[in-house]
Formats: sequence, structure tokens, C-alpha cells
Amino acid sequence: MENTGVSKYTISFGLSLALCSVLNALLVVTKEKSRSVTSALQRITGHQWVTHVIIVLVLFLFFGWLFAKSNQGQGMKLAVKRLTEIILAGIVAGGLIITGFYLVAD
Amino acid sequence: MNEIILMFHVLFGAGCVITAVWLFVDVLHAGAANRARIRRLSWAAAAFMWCAFLIGGYWYVVDYPADKAIILHGPWPFAHSYFMETKEHLVIMLLLLTSFLPVATANNLAVNREARRLVLWVLAGIALLGLMIEGDGAMIAMGVKVALLAGQH
Repeated sequence: MENTGVSKYTISFGLSLALCSVLNALLVVTKEKSRSVTSALQRITGHQWVTHVIIVLVLFLFFGWLFAKSNQGQGMKLAVKRLTEIILAGIVAGGLIITGFYLVAD
Repeated sequence: MNEIILMFHVLFGAGCVITAVWLFVDVLHAGAANRARIRRLSWAAAAFMWCAFLIGGYWYVVDYPADKAIILHGPWPFAHSYFMETKEHLVIMLLLLTSFLPVATANNLAVNREARRLVLWVLAGIALLGLMIEGDGAMIAMGVKVALLAGQH
């Protein structure tokens, strides 16, 4: 029998993946455009890229946990097809922002 | 020793891409017989990626500044300013995708067509991003090579 549901963690961490892909790209643009942001990131761990990675990973875990806890602990309700589209949109947007920024704007 | 570290970075990265392609085929034929293998392979893909990432990250922070200086003084400065800059940030997305993979494959893919489609798209993203990042790495290595060759003449 065909089943169409997925676990609440698939939805919550899938949404977090899409969101953090875009946030990762926006952080790239922000630090490239602002020396003070890069310096602040540098000061935290000694290397701006290490801090960048830690921020994105922590946000991924945080949003995944947050989305799973929403709706009285049942997690967010979303059709799997829609989740797939959101993940793809997040990955494509994040990828285009990063590759486009270094190609054109930087 | 630095070169050995770098080779392990490439090895684990290639391992992740190969595992993703293998998984793609397995998920296309998802059933009761390969359910456990799909889950094990998805964890393996994530483990390969984390190993590649940690080794590459260590090399990037500790050893890459010397290569960066060579590249920027050579004929291919874009090997750093474009290819390394994009690689070091796209790889974070790849890390998120591979970390999400075991979560997605924990669903019963044999009876859930939409979950299968989701996993297939994630695997396609891992394979394509992985190949792109491997290509970036090749361009960076070539940037060092052409700079060193230019310095000999």
C-alpha cells in the first residue's frame, strides 16, 4: 500500500536545510562586503571560515529542532512534494548566490 | 605529509560522490531487500563527506595560505578568487545535504513514492555539487601548478 507521509524530522531538517543554504549564501555576501563582519568572525575562532561553518551548522541543528518542536511537538505539516520543491529552491538559490556573487559582484 | 592529507580529502570526497550515485540506483529500485543497505549507504555517504570536510578544512586553515600566495602571484589568480572562494562555501551546502540524507532515508522508501523522489533529488544534488566541488579542487591545484611553472621561466 502506498504511503505518502514522512517523519517529522525529515520535514523539519529538510526545511532547515533549505533555509540554511540560503543563510549560508547571505553570510558569504555579508562578510565579503563588510570587513568588520569578517574581522568579528575571525576573532571568534581565529579563522573567519571556521566561524562561518560553525554558525551554519548550529543554525541547521537549531532550525531542525525548532521546526520539529512546532505544532505542539508534532512538527510542521507539509506535503512531501512541497518539501522537495522547497529544498531544491533553497539549494539552487544558495548555489546561484554564491557562484553569481564571486562571478559578478566581487 | 600535506599532500597525503590532501589526497585523503579528495579520496573521501570521491567516495561520497560514488556512494551517492550507487544509492541513487538503489533508491530507484527501493524494496524490502535493499532497505537496510540504503540506510547503511546513506550513513556511509554522510561519513565520507564529514571526513572529506574535516580533512579539507584542516588543510585549508593550516596549509592553504602558502598555496594561496603562490596562486595569487601566478597567471591564474582566479583559481583562488573564484574557484576556492566558491568551493569553500558551496561545500557547506554539500555537508548539509549529506547530513540530511540519513534522515530522509529513514523513511520507508519502498512504499512511499514521494519520499523516494525526495531522496533521489537530494542524491542528485549531492552528486552534482560533489562533482562541481571536485572540479573546483582541480582548478585550484592547476592554479598552483601554472604559477610554479611560470616562476621557472
